[in-house]
Amino acid sequence: MKKKKQVKKRPFLPPMSFSYEGSQASKTGTWRYLTPAYLNKLAPCNESCPAGEDVEAAMVLAGQEDYLGAWEKITQENPLPRVCGRVCFHPCEAACNRKEFDEATSINALERFVGDQAFQSGKRPPPPQEKKREKVAIIGSGPAGLSCAYHLSSLGYGVTLFEAQPKLGGVLRYGIPSYRLPKDILDQEIDNILSLGVEAKTGVRVGKDVRWAELKNFDAVFVAAGAWKSLPLKVPGEDAKGVMSGLEFLQRVNSGQPVDPGQRVAIIGGGNTAMDAARSALRLGAKPLIIYRRTREEMPAWEEEVSETGEESIEFIFLSSPVKIVTENGKVKGVECIKNLLGPIGKDGRREPRPIEGSNFTLPVDAVISAIGETPDFSFLPEELRQYTGSLPVDETGATGVKGVFAGGDIIAQPRTVAYAIGSGKKAAMAVDATLRGKNAVEGLRSARWGEKGSLSMARYKKGGTDGIAPEVIPFSALNTAYFKRQVRKRKEKLPLSRRTSGFSEVNLGLSPDSALYEAKRCFNCGVCNLCHNCFIYCPDLAISARPDKQGYDINYDYCKGCCICVEECPRGAISVEVKK
Amino acid sequence: MRKLMTGNSAVSHGVVLSRAQVISAYPITPQTTIVEELSEMCADGRLPAKFIRVESEHSAMACVAAAAATGARVFTATSSHGLAYMHEMLHWVSGTRLPVVMVNANRAIGAPWSIWCDQGDSLSQRDTGWLQLYCQSAQEALDTVIQAYRIAEEILLPVMVLVDGFFLSHTSEPVDIPDQEAVDRFLPPFHPRYKLTPDDPHTFNIMADTSLFISFRHEAQIAMETAKKLAARVDREFKSQFGRGYGLMEKFRCTDAEVVLLTMGTAAGTAREVIDQYRRQGKKVGLCRLRLFRPFPAEALIKTLSGMKKVAVLDRDNSLGAGGIVGQELKAALFRAPRKPKVFEFIAGLGGKDITPETIQKIMETTLHNANPNGAPIWLGVEA
Repeated sequence: MKKKKQVKKRPFLPPMSFSYEGSQASKTGTWRYLTPAYLNKLAPCNESCPAGEDVEAAMVLAGQEDYLGAWEKITQENPLPRVCGRVCFHPCEAACNRKEFDEATSINALERFVGDQAFQSGKRPPPPQEKKREKVAIIGSGPAGLSCAYHLSSLGYGVTLFEAQPKLGGVLRYGIPSYRLPKDILDQEIDNILSLGVEAKTGVRVGKDVRWAELKNFDAVFVAAGAWKSLPLKVPGEDAKGVMSGLEFLQRVNSGQPVDPGQRVAIIGGGNTAMDAARSALRLGAKPLIIYRRTREEMPAWEEEVSETGEESIEFIFLSSPVKIVTENGKVKGVECIKNLLGPIGKDGRREPRPIEGSNFTLPVDAVISAIGETPDFSFLPEELRQYTGSLPVDETGATGVKGVFAGGDIIAQPRTVAYAIGSGKKAAMAVDATLRGKNAVEGLRSARWGEKGSLSMARYKKGGTDGIAPEVIPFSALNTAYFKRQVRKRKEKLPLSRRTSGFSEVNLGLSPDSALYEAKRCFNCGVCNLCHNCFIYCPDLAISARPDKQGYDINYDYCKGCCICVEECPRGAISVEVKK
Repeated sequence: MRKLMTGNSAVSHGVVLSRAQVISAYPITPQTTIVEELSEMCADGRLPAKFIRVESEHSAMACVAAAAATGARVFTATSSHGLAYMHEMLHWVSGTRLPVVMVNANRAIGAPWSIWCDQGDSLSQRDTGWLQLYCQSAQEALDTVIQAYRIAEEILLPVMVLVDGFFLSHTSEPVDIPDQEAVDRFLPPFHPRYKLTPDDPHTFNIMADTSLFISFRHEAQIAMETAKKLAARVDREFKSQFGRGYGLMEKFRCTDAEVVLLTMGTAAGTAREVIDQYRRQGKKVGLCRLRLFRPFPAEALIKTLSGMKKVAVLDRDNSLGAGGIVGQELKAALFRAPRKPKVFEFIAGLGGKDITPETIQKIMETTLHNANPNGAPIWLGVEA
């Protein structure tokens, strides 16, 4: 009885130690000596895009099925996603971190998909927000000229495009065959650019129809006339009927002019022009034969083009150089070649072909297309710039030696690709803007830089480089791949072989909507928060919460102990640690 | 419904009937088939519980502890090294007064490596604040799981249900599976007074200063003492509803016995046969199978044994440097008894060594023919 009373007198205790208040009362943030913070990093795809696209941001949006948002991100930098989604050599994919894990993301095919989606929704670039009084002349309407025109008119400048050909597009229209880039797609994207108020003077050749001196009325000039002069074969018989240059041939085919490649046509060269010429000739009913002086390994044409050429059963003769065009009555009858051996590695890093004496052989052909290289024509330029050969020298802002004259695209010394041309057009637009606004162009371009490979972002340029993205590129090793599963890369679908060569229908069919979304979701989103919620889930102090606008997360440093589990568990390295000061 | 099933399957059925809501476990022989069956039942929807896969037993216990703190009915199972790995969390769970129910398939702890039965694994966790109930049959395992939730949730202490590895876990017996509706009546849903919920934030296990820690421990000790009566009451209620009861200990032919064998688990089944043989010879012997080891039912044992002349304790375990753990506990309890039987201690069946009728006979012969125990426990089955 006595014992029972004692038990009853015990003071009340809950069964377990139990706080009166919630854990918010304990500000665990005071324990912190490491501080995690969200810091988006530069993705390798962005750094390696010569056109300076924000690939990363576009992929994040595409992964959320916001294809129009993705298109806006792309077209802030590049007005031609439908074009590039078809013809770009996609160095972004070569740099993709995912290739260290399984296979690179299909960025290029997604760009095309995003561009096509925006077109189907009737998306247009926004009109310029202001009008500036300065006017800029652009010579050439290829990818460099179009890009420059687009960016300058977006910035509010008056832009006049001078194009010698009857239609705009330059190499996109007259160089690239429509089985790779259908003309209506090019027309549509050019139309987007013109909708900003760009004035286009087609069929007007500067130096002939308009004198250089007349351009004085413009505040700046951007020269993007390309490289349209084919290099001569320098063999006897080159002037015979039935010999033409690759570009001339493609130009005629692409503008719908009659052209006869004959029955048996030899294409000399191993670059993209040679592949395009051979495949176009095949579609015109000829039997093309590509003659290249080295082996397949050394061919400068892109792998995809070479393999598609092979798929179409076009014959290659390697290690052979033409020495003579055999003619009869001034007409091509054959081509005499000599066999080569590969010697030591030459200046360009490829093994030099060495002819084998006495190994001559003659192939009976009735046409020859020479596609051994192109060079720019400087004859229309002012005297100071006419002295150069090969390429026009420019400084790091794209400025030539003549004040107010900038140059880009294939006319300057840079890789001759659409993406590089687009990038150089954008660079010139920034440099022109900085110069005309009385700012330091070098500084301006530096603020727009994405990484170390020359990629420039117009969005960064406009913000003066203060977009909160860390300058360093995020390597594969900084990702937490435990959160990714291995997934097969979806490839572009292609027209069946049987239907390819009978006409100029587009060979690549792109990604299906399902495949596009799958690829967008395959993207690691390297270095960029894509709202995956992992940090929120892992934070042991519930110190991480979604921002009210749902565009990111906030860390409540009253409670963040600095364990940095969030940093470790972020699959894409978008959180960094800073030591508390 | 009567079905032929292993001890482990009976355990799984007990868990399903108890409507466990969160299960987290890491597989280890001989417990594995419990986890397999439960995970299958969670996957195919027969058991609407959250099954959390984990990388270790420590995490398994942490998961069920956290789930229990939110008011969920939880279950886990392990064995031997897994139980040892849980050791730290066992203390946290009992200190937090969480009604976690766990089945441990008794298996020797290495080294040397062994997967076979002895009770050293669970008996070496005797000080962690968990109730321990040792079963002898598959039916008892199923019934004890259900009882364990009733006990745990009423007293707010975790309960460990023990089944001998292989001898019980992997042996099939006919088992009567009670109706769900009957079990629901016996075991209502768990509504704890204290739980973690975002609606009313509190912290569990905040630092207890030096003035309070001892008080929390004292509360837990009182709860343990109370649990003896509670376990007995729950078993009685179970018996009145389902017709099966086991008591805190099972007494066999003890009424007029002068010598009693005390042991736990499946060895009691073998012992029963041997006791019958002695009874046929007119020897006044009996068997006491201890079911509740923690809290140690000292009073009930004193009541049962203090009239006996001798008690033979068969331990399927050994505390190195001390002796059989049941033997030690019994001796300590009898110290308070007015009349003390002589206690003969035996160690047998470690690491899966069979406890055969001959082993039991040897124990009984030694106890019957010696006036006094020879000091240290006698080890049986030691080679050379």
